[in-house]
Amino acid sequence: MSTATLADTGIIQITKACKACDHCTSVCPTGAVKGLLGQKHSIDYKTCINCGQCLINCPFGAIIDTSSVEQVKQALNDSGKTVIVQEAPAVRVALGEEFGMPVGTNVKGKMHAALRKLGFDKVYDTEFAADLTIMEEGTELIHRVFKLAGVAGYEDRGPLPQFTSCCPAWIKYAEDKYPAILPHLSSAKSPQQMFGAIAKTYAANKQGVNPADMVSVSVMPCTAKKYECDRPEMKASGFQDVDYVITTRELATIIKDAGIDFVNLPDEEADKLIGTSTGAATIFGVTGGVMEAALRTAYEILSGESLNKVEFTAVRGMQPVREATVEIPIKDLGINLPVNVCIVTGTKYVDKVIEDVLAGRSKYHFIEVMNCPGGCINGGGQPIRHEMY
Amino acid sequence: MSEINGKVLKHGEQTRTMHWMHMITFILLALTGIGFYFDIGFIGGIFGGEANASLVHRWAGVVFTVGPALYILLNFERFARFMDTIATFTKDDFGWLKTMGGYIPFLKGDVPPQDKYNAGQKMLGHLIIIGCLLMILTGFPMWLWRGVLPAAFLAFCYNIHFWVAVILILAIAGHFFLAAIHPKSRVEFASMMMDGYIDAEISAHHNEKWFNSLQEVKE
Repeated sequence: MSTATLADTGIIQITKACKACDHCTSVCPTGAVKGLLGQKHSIDYKTCINCGQCLINCPFGAIIDTSSVEQVKQALNDSGKTVIVQEAPAVRVALGEEFGMPVGTNVKGKMHAALRKLGFDKVYDTEFAADLTIMEEGTELIHRVFKLAGVAGYEDRGPLPQFTSCCPAWIKYAEDKYPAILPHLSSAKSPQQMFGAIAKTYAANKQGVNPADMVSVSVMPCTAKKYECDRPEMKASGFQDVDYVITTRELATIIKDAGIDFVNLPDEEADKLIGTSTGAATIFGVTGGVMEAALRTAYEILSGESLNKVEFTAVRGMQPVREATVEIPIKDLGINLPVNVCIVTGTKYVDKVIEDVLAGRSKYHFIEVMNCPGGCINGGGQPIRHEMY
Repeated sequence: MSEINGKVLKHGEQTRTMHWMHMITFILLALTGIGFYFDIGFIGGIFGGEANASLVHRWAGVVFTVGPALYILLNFERFARFMDTIATFTKDDFGWLKTMGGYIPFLKGDVPPQDKYNAGQKMLGHLIIIGCLLMILTGFPMWLWRGVLPAAFLAFCYNIHFWVAVILILAIAGHFFLAAIHPKSRVEFASMMMDGYIDAEISAHHNEKWFNSLQEVKE
């Protein structure tokens, strides 16, 4: 019996169709793609962070990801299973492309309708868990700030700056290359994994479903999420919290295979129990989104005031490394704290930021890192773009 | 029987040198290119592996590009005359095409007098110039800007590079057959590949218009 795990075999594979054009080595953030121009390429799974950037950028479609589509179809056909599904924020604004709709069309309602037609028993939404994540990460940031300010009762909290922890590719990169930085990472799980744990505990309990008979499926813009759900520690519910991850591309294929007329589907809402969310969750899928959502939470909690204008536009943009300072009044301490934040989009740009933190030179309090350029909207599981320029 | 004796210089030294260089690099490029596209390990093995074969392909491509460019710079008037010749299509050229220069047995009729290059060679000249430009314009981006070009554009370059290569290889195979093997015209081989001279009688027959424009040199 084979004992190989995804840690050994990886999520991403380069097939024999590789034309050795060497384009993928330039997009790989960790140098995990091996091979010279003219030489068929391969992946070093020890350093691969499963982000799939090589896959979506391969000119010849020669790179593939491990698929759980057949297992999901089997679960849907098994009447003894309660199959629930969550969809990440970035999926709904990309899925339409696979059906010829304009880039960026929000097909959230049609997506929910299609998932019900496919036979999912409950159609929830990752945005619910994204809200939880931001409350966790935002609160954790506040506690770390309190520790820095010497407030009693917070001495055991983690150090500043705090890094975000939603992106599994970034997490593996930090684990592989900078283990010393791990105490700086938020201890919050990603929205996908929070959702998985809640689905098989709280939701299962509320629905009267035995979690052993529940199959939790996640639709993600990300190939690294397939690796994340398979991590041995992701069993908080006593079961594997998320059983299968399928990508936006794979969902489109399943919908097409089922003969569903996606474009003409009526809009439907997600199921209510763990399917509702705020606008803060929606912006998770783009670079700066987690930061902006966390600042909204931190600002309201620390200042004790409601925000009149919720946008923190200073953290928006597409530059690989951005920084901003946000003045947050801390009501309990009677001071105004300038919170220095940094947003990194593209793991290949994070090294200097980390090295500054480890050397004690960093001025930041909170750092968001997303592996894929532009954030999850450009993840390795998204529709493959064919622009010539 | 013709009374024409002696030889005429058809291809100068630099032209022949350029042709040799282009031929050698073309063979290297075609061989390694076929090896890459069809994933033939044996061909890569000849060069010490795929990566080395790729290096040979790329640097042969540099010579393939720079060689003719230097030739044109150093022989601009000669090249201009060549371009002028192959760009000129008269009724005699269409007449050659109608009879396919007498190469096809069932196409009967008189072959009209031809320039230094017959209509078929003129067409080949156009094909090689356009084909080489396309190979250069797609090949160098595939090498030098492979990391920054959009994937779709890179795939487009590979497709153009492949199909133009197929057309060029077939065209050059036909060119080799007619210039080196076919009994009617294989004397051309020695002219281009060796001393540049060709029998005056043959030239007067195959390239009558050009031959009539030449001046006799007494030695």
